[in-house]
Formats: sequence, structure tokens, C-alpha cells
Amino acid sequence: MSLPNPSKGWRSSSSRLLALYSFLFVAWSSILMGVLYWEVTSYLNTLARHSLMQRQQLFSRFQGAQLDDALRTSDKFDIRTVDAYGLFDNDLKPISGPVHEIPDGLKLTGEIQELDTCIDSDDPDLPRASCDAVAIHTLDNRWLILVRDNGSLFAVTTLILRALLWGVSLTIIPGAAGWHLLRRRPLKRIGAIQASAEAIVTGDLTRRLPVSDRRDELDMLADIVNAMLDRIERLMNEVKGVCDNIAHDLRTPLTRLRAQLYRIQQQSPEDSPQGEQMAQVIADADTLMARFRGLLRISELEDHQRRSAFGQLDPLPLLQELHDFYLPLAEEGGVSLQLKIAENLPRLVGDRALLFEALSNLLSNSIKFTPAGGQVLMIARAEGDTTFIEVQDTGPGIPDAERQAVFKRFYRSETGNQQSGFGLGLSIVAAIVNLHGFKLRIGSSPSGGASLVLECRQVLALG
Amino acid sequence: MTRILTIEDDAVTAKEIVAELSSHGLHVDWVDNGREGLVRAVSGDYDLITLDRMLPEVDGLAIVTTMRALGIATPILMISALSDVDERVRGLRAGGDDYLSKPFASDEMAARVEVLLRRSNPVTQAETMLKVADLELNLITREATRAGQPLNLLPTEYKLLEFLMRNSGQIITRMMIFEEVWGYHFDPGTNLIDVHIGRLRKKIDPPTLTPLIRTVRGSGYVIAEPV
Repeated sequence: MSLPNPSKGWRSSSSRLLALYSFLFVAWSSILMGVLYWEVTSYLNTLARHSLMQRQQLFSRFQGAQLDDALRTSDKFDIRTVDAYGLFDNDLKPISGPVHEIPDGLKLTGEIQELDTCIDSDDPDLPRASCDAVAIHTLDNRWLILVRDNGSLFAVTTLILRALLWGVSLTIIPGAAGWHLLRRRPLKRIGAIQASAEAIVTGDLTRRLPVSDRRDELDMLADIVNAMLDRIERLMNEVKGVCDNIAHDLRTPLTRLRAQLYRIQQQSPEDSPQGEQMAQVIADADTLMARFRGLLRISELEDHQRRSAFGQLDPLPLLQELHDFYLPLAEEGGVSLQLKIAENLPRLVGDRALLFEALSNLLSNSIKFTPAGGQVLMIARAEGDTTFIEVQDTGPGIPDAERQAVFKRFYRSETGNQQSGFGLGLSIVAAIVNLHGFKLRIGSSPSGGASLVLECRQVLALG
Repeated sequence: MTRILTIEDDAVTAKEIVAELSSHGLHVDWVDNGREGLVRAVSGDYDLITLDRMLPEVDGLAIVTTMRALGIATPILMISALSDVDERVRGLRAGGDDYLSKPFASDEMAARVEVLLRRSNPVTQAETMLKVADLELNLITREATRAGQPLNLLPTEYKLLEFLMRNSGQIITRMMIFEEVWGYHFDPGTNLIDVHIGRLRKKIDPPTLTPLIRTVRGSGYVIAEPV
């Protein structure tokens, strides 16, 4: 079983929070800038119109040479490119002033108008962008055109937009950097939590999730989980304690039972009818004891206590010994038992006696379920840093659906025949395999029979 | 008369041990606590001790250790409710000669006691030739003959025969055979030992001759002179 990986990208909570925060900031600054822009432009607009209106009022009072003087004076003080004028005769021919042409679209009504393009001219001193303009019919029957550039408005817009752009990019760039920094630390901690959790999942219930001194949300969560684990461990120990006590309490009565049955049998005459029955009862008691010992053995192995006998071992003599041990049984059942071992197999780390026990369980099952005339094959080969020891048979095989269940205690295939067996064998194998940190895979042999593969660590692989 | 000391705190178990061993013609004294057990054990009056691993007052392991430290070599069969494999190793390392975990069968226990008593007999130790009726096993050349005919034995079959013949006339259980000949301490489950005995039988007990290996129902095997 493996735990899901912590998300590395946008799915982490800090990333989401930061993204939301950045979005809100950008939205808020856009609104702020928008309002500012609107306020400033309408103010400047009013100002421009106002100034134009003042000039209109001023110049409409003059006429003749007076007007020409006033215009010339004004032109000196006015800022070029902002304010400009043009004086035209009644036929709209230019008389004086920098504006030589009546702007397109300007109606000769005396009303202030806003024009998109002001004056079509190459003169850099004239306003060219949008402007307010007015055409005044002077008292001496001429046309005075006054123009005031709206360019300052455009500048303000550019200014504000630029500020907005800076603001947004300054939000997004440090935001992204901050996001990267912010998510790194929690991810690191989650990595540590995951490592601990994986150890717990694989059975080390004494492990706890790491807690830092910061007492933040992650620590709170780790504390909660740790409290939960404490409770689970306590419960497991209690259950185990109860089981151990039951097991211990049963040993003596079972010993007494068997002893007394045996004594009754010894005392009764040899060929009495009870003698036969007695022998059967004793055989049953022996079966009971054997299963009981099997159960105790599994719990002993599951305690992960027996590492003391671990050492380096050469798989070859072990497999040969197994072959010799099981050959008579196989031949008895009309099954051929063969060994196929690759040369120069590296040494393994393990408990020789336990590996013998595990493999002997696999072999004994294969021989038991392979019909006469069949074949059981024991194959050993090394691949990379793993040694594969496989037991193949030509028996009925193990259906996919049952491959996990066969490790359960006392499991025996539903479809299987009435073969004898304690049904504890594969549980013992599983316990031994777990103790070694090996893997056991159940598959199909080329002939459709069962294939059980033990994946063993080699000495070198331990580094 | 061979004297056995049984140190066992459970009265019923002790009674059964005493009854079983007495039926084998042994004199058995029973002690139900460690302190008294240790005193009796170091007295040197006994030929063998069956010792419970967990005892009130003085622990079974402490008794073995003390005895061996005092140089008392009386064979000890440790009987324990602790079946842990490490526990077995600890018991044997401390000086126990054999280890039996509860629940056990009393015939198994008796068989082990007999074998231990035989093993401690110096006469059998020095033998170079084992003989049961017309079956002979040369321990030096590792050759076996039955009625003068050489037998072709595989290494395991030789070990098996040697173990049976060293303890001729005594019941040897399947568990003892597996432990002694193969050296493992688990339950091989199926009738594996029976199959191996069957093979050996085919070689040493041909149909024309009186069989020497006898099956003791429910217990094990015995090799003995034909009655």
C-alpha cells in the first residue's frame, strides 16, 4: 500500500491561497486605478473646458486690431502645443495664428466641442491629438478658432495605466516567487510526514508523525493523527496482550488434555473398540496442537522480533537441500520435482531456517496440488539486485480473485478438492517474507498452474 | 535405577510427566518451585532433569545457568510455554540439552528423555559400529549392510539411519527426526518424515527379511531387534 503523493503544483493550499490573494490584489488595484482615472480625467476635462470658455469670453469682447493684439499677446504666454488659435475671415480663409485650417468636424456654432483629431498639420507646436475646440464669430465678422489640447488627459491615462501595469507585475512576480518559497517548506514537511506515515502503514506502529516547534496547522494535524496512533497502538497492544494471554493459558490445558488422553490409551487394552476411537481422538488432539503451534508461530513472526538469526547465506545449498527433502514426497505423488538454478547466484541476507520453512511451505503446497504426472519446478535467478526464487507447478493454479485471500489464515480454495493441509502455510510464508522485507508474488506458470515468486534482497543491495 | 527430577509448577502437567516417565520404568521426583528445584538439581542425585522454563521464585533459565556454572552436566530437557525461536536458542545456549515447547505430547516428552539418557551414556558415545540384528552401520566408513549385503544410502538416509540406530529400541518421534536429521524446528506439516522413513525402509527392510523399523502408532518410529 502506498500513500498519495503530496501535490507539487497548483493544488497545494498555499498556491491556491496565494493565487486568490494575487487575483484579489490585482482586481482591487484595477478598481482603485479605474476610479482614480475617472476622477482625474473628468476633473482635467472640466478644467480644459473652463479655460477654453474663459478665453472664448475674453476674446469675444475684442475686435479689429485690438483682437489681433490680444491674440498675439496671449499666444506669447500660452503654452504651445496646448493652446492655439487661428483667425479666419468671413470666407474662412486664414488671416493669422498658428491654426491655418479649420479643424475637421468643428461646427461654427460658438459651442465648445470635443474633437478626436485636432489639427491636421506637421507643425510640432500644434496640438494634434484630441482637443476641445470652439469657433467664435467675432464682432468684426471674422472667425476665431480656439483650440485646447486634451493631451494632458492622455498623459494622465498613460501614467495611470503604466502605474497599473507596474503594480500588477510587481504583485505577480513577487507573488510567484513567494508562492515558490511558501510551498517549499510545507511540501518538505509533508514529505517528512509521508515518510513516517509509510513506515506506519508497513507496520511500524511505534512511529509518529514529525511535529515542529511552530505549532501551526500542520503540527496541529500531526498532533491529532499522533494521538489517534497512540490510541491504535494501545488497542493493538491490548488485543495482542489478550491473544498472548489466551495462547499462554491454552498451552497448559492442551498439554494436560493430550497427556491424559494418551494415558487413557496406554491403560486401555490394546485391541479394545475404545482403543481405535482413542487413537482417533489423540490424532485430533495432535492436529489441534499443530494448528495452535502454527498460529503461535505466525504471531511470533509478525512480532518482527526474530532478526537475531539473520546472516548471509548462499541460496544454492539451501535450494538443493529443499529439493532433496521434498523429492521423495513428490515421487510418491507421481510428480517430478526439478531444480533450475542460475549460476553464481549472489548471497542473500536472511534467516536460513526461516527461508527453508517458507520455501518448504511453497513446495509442499505445489506438490500437494499438482496431480500425478505433473511437474513442480523450482527456479532461481538473479536480476539486477534482486534474486527471484520461483516455485512453479502444473496444478490447477490460483484464480486471480483468490490470490490475496490465500494468505489469510486457514484459507483453503473453495474450488480445491479435499486435500489435507492446515491452511496456515501461506500465512506463515507471508509472515516470513514480511520479516525479511522480501516480496511474494502469485502468478500463473506457463502451463496455467500456480507460480509463486519470492523476490529476495541480495547482500550487495544492502550497501 | 534411573532417577529423574521434574521441576514443574503446574500440578496436572507434572502429574502427567511423572506418570508417563514412571511407565517407562523411571523413578521421578517432582518439585513445584524453582528454589527447591535448584537445590535438588545441584545435589547431583539425578540422571536427568525436566525443567519448566517459567517457575515461581527461581527461573528455569537461572537453574540451568547455575548448574552449568557449577560444572554439573546432568542432561536437561527444558519444557517451556515460550515457543519463541529465540527462546529456544537461549535455553539451549544456557546449557539445556533439548527444548520442548508447550503444548507437548507426553510421549514426545518421554521419547526425548529416553534419547537424552542414552546420549549421556558414555558407552554408546564411543562406538564406531552400530548394530541392530543383522543390520550394521559403520560410523567410520559410513557404510551400511543388512544381512551382509551392502546398502546404498543417500546422505540423508544415512543420517536418519544413524539417528535411529543410535537410539535403537527407543521410540523416535517425527519431530525429533526432523530436528536431528535436518536441523530445523518447525512443523513440516505433511507426512514428509513418513515418506523419508518409507524410502529408508525399502532399502533396509526388503520383503524377504524381518522388518527392523517399526511404526509406533501416533508417536513415531523405533528400530529394534525383531521380537
